[in-house]
Amino acid sequence: MVLPDYYEFCCRVKIVAGHDALEQIPGLLSEKGAKKPLIITDKGVAGAGLIDVVSRVLQDRLAGILIADNVPPDSDLRIVHQLAQFYRDNGCDAIIAVGGGSVMDTAKGVNIVVSENASDLMAFSGAGALKRPLKPLIAIPTTAGTGSEVTQVAVIKDHEKHLKMAFLSYFLLPDVSILDPRMTMTMPPFITAMTGMDALSHATEAYYCLQKNPLSDAHALSAVSMIYQHLPMVVQNPSDLNGRLAMSIGACLAGIAFSNSMTGIVHNLGHASGSVCGVPHGLAMAILLPYGLEYNMHKCEDIIARLLLPMAGETDYLNTPKEQKAQKVVSLIRQMNEDLHILTNGRHARCFREVKDREGKPMVPRETLPEIAGAALLDGASMYNPEDTDYTDNLMVLEAAWEGCPLDLSKVKKG
Amino acid sequence: MNSDSCFTFTCPVKTNSGNIALENLPVELSGLNAGKPLVVTNIAKVGRKAVRTLTGAFGDSGMSLGVFDSLGDKVDPALIEQLRTTFIEEEYDSIIALGGGTIVDSAKILNLTVSLKITDVRNLSAQTPVNRNLLPLVVVPTADATGLETAQFARLNGAVLSSEYLAPVLVVIDPRLTRGKDVKTIYATGLAALGRALESHIIAKENPFRQAYSFAAIRFIRDNLPAAVRNPDDKKTTLAVINAAVMSGCAFSGTEARPLHKLGQVFQEMLKIHPGIIMGMCLPHILDDYLHRDGNGLASLLHPLTGDEEFAQTPEAQRAGAAVSVLHRFMADLHSALGKDVPQTLREAGVPLYAIEDIFEVLDVDPNGVYLRSVVERIRDKTPMAEKKG
Repeated sequence: MVLPDYYEFCCRVKIVAGHDALEQIPGLLSEKGAKKPLIITDKGVAGAGLIDVVSRVLQDRLAGILIADNVPPDSDLRIVHQLAQFYRDNGCDAIIAVGGGSVMDTAKGVNIVVSENASDLMAFSGAGALKRPLKPLIAIPTTAGTGSEVTQVAVIKDHEKHLKMAFLSYFLLPDVSILDPRMTMTMPPFITAMTGMDALSHATEAYYCLQKNPLSDAHALSAVSMIYQHLPMVVQNPSDLNGRLAMSIGACLAGIAFSNSMTGIVHNLGHASGSVCGVPHGLAMAILLPYGLEYNMHKCEDIIARLLLPMAGETDYLNTPKEQKAQKVVSLIRQMNEDLHILTNGRHARCFREVKDREGKPMVPRETLPEIAGAALLDGASMYNPEDTDYTDNLMVLEAAWEGCPLDLSKVKKG
Repeated sequence: MNSDSCFTFTCPVKTNSGNIALENLPVELSGLNAGKPLVVTNIAKVGRKAVRTLTGAFGDSGMSLGVFDSLGDKVDPALIEQLRTTFIEEEYDSIIALGGGTIVDSAKILNLTVSLKITDVRNLSAQTPVNRNLLPLVVVPTADATGLETAQFARLNGAVLSSEYLAPVLVVIDPRLTRGKDVKTIYATGLAALGRALESHIIAKENPFRQAYSFAAIRFIRDNLPAAVRNPDDKKTTLAVINAAVMSGCAFSGTEARPLHKLGQVFQEMLKIHPGIIMGMCLPHILDDYLHRDGNGLASLLHPLTGDEEFAQTPEAQRAGAAVSVLHRFMADLHSALGKDVPQTLREAGVPLYAIEDIFEVLDVDPNGVYLRSVVERIRDKTPMAEKKG
């Protein structure tokens, strides 16, 4: 464990994890002096019956529960303002966000508007615009992947002006994150697989990226171990409550790790493939993760090798010669993608050419790769990658990830 | 994850550590909506240079700050009431505690009084509810930190006030302030950090959030304390030891007080001995006792205490014993490097017999008193365990 010349680490979120974590919510609200929370969620979460589970827990202990379930899949400034008005009209005093990334982003946006008594959320965009604690926010993730229950960022889109605004502040960290396996149990295997690989990519990139530090390392190693061990189990057996809890904890640890050490080429190319071709984020992460490790191998082979023990366990670790340990990590992640492909009857794509939309049409035509490589140059995630990326390297990695064959390490620029 | 009941973890403290970390303080305070901090410290303990380094970091930030550098060796209610008046009259909006131990306890109590508008400090007790955000408190630890600076409680003359809101919002670890004054100081800081991190790690078996902090703290002590005690002026290793101290306070918060911590605190409160000195004496005995009792949880110590290779090579059933052996060797190595610089028994520490009797009286009212007393008996004046095993 290396002490960097300088580092910062912060995660002020109270984590409450367990099979009965939801039951703690009334007490947690009461500690914050809150009595009337607004539940913010989306139709998918509500339709899966998850809000019923939360409501059942709360109804005996709270006078009234208000639910807004109209968060769209992509955050929307208009909805943020609408929900803020709903919050004010009903005299709410706290927010419970139940869902994935878009719900968390929307809830954070609403919290800014109601806490600052603002008329326009956009006045608070960028870093450091918030100066004081917001209203109590309890985050209940319904996927084990994004880690947004422990991040200080919100991204809200203004669809009318075609703008995507980021909000960054420690005050955006939820007060509490509830990790309860009942909230992820209904996730279908295909979604479980890709969100789980998203979490694994957070932990892995956090461990090799330039802003790594002893505390992000400790969170990342623990996350890698929990996710690698439990992801295939829960994809195979979705109602495995112990496995589901372990995945939620692993994804949360990974979220803490990457929000402090940042991410690299995997996220960089993943964001770009999402914006150019609409590839679901988790799937892009799953496909790109082995390539990110290969691309950075010459810069941090020792670091990558240290992921072997938490992934493979003691026996495989001892049976792998030192010089092969890092490569073994890459092959285990490739094998994980293979296993998930089989367990999801082929829905978990192993390479970009296998990614299909709902009509079964390929989402990433090979000719779009240059556009993705170019778009990636505009994304900040490349800043923290161990090797400096450029257009040529981006394209080389994308082509290999499209085809599904390992990167030709002799062609990687060694800066 | 088979845990039947749920677990929680929270660490409200942000850590900034490393070169010119202090220079980021104005930006950090501004981000917390604070612009006029009051620095509280004890100049006799931290030295004039440390105060100058801290105030110098505000350079041309435009922030005005006050400095009160005359805190004493204990938390003095009358002094805190005076400081409270000054804080309010001169319109400060945040507190920076420079130093460790009681300096930070005083700062936490001061923060409580100014944030919750408490006029009589003597009325504060363990039952005082602290359930909302206080004003920003920043801790800048020096080499004699105890590790409890980042903990979610404050000590006020025997009473322990406990709340996550008492923890500092930020800790700034700057190598200009963390070099040890002497061997004994850095040893004591390191052992206090190690003792609390070990106890936190053992009881946090199914809480990986807590174990992330305890793991990093134990590994840093293992990697850096031996070099730091050989050269207390070494920037890198002493910085790592203070990092471990800070992490140990975060790991320890919210756990029930365990024997090592308890004994360290009792001796500090009654005899003003740094808790790390006592924890260093007790550690080998207490771990042996754990091992002989059930050893449950000790196995998890082997990984942070050794490394991937040794951990992987040790069969699961042998890990608890191996961890205790590693700790015995670690302590023996430290003591052989330190010679007579660090006392290994109460007698060497100059603790008179009558004082030990007073300690026994306090321990006797503790639910675990019989056991704690037996540990004190063993560190009175006997061959230190570390030497026997070493």
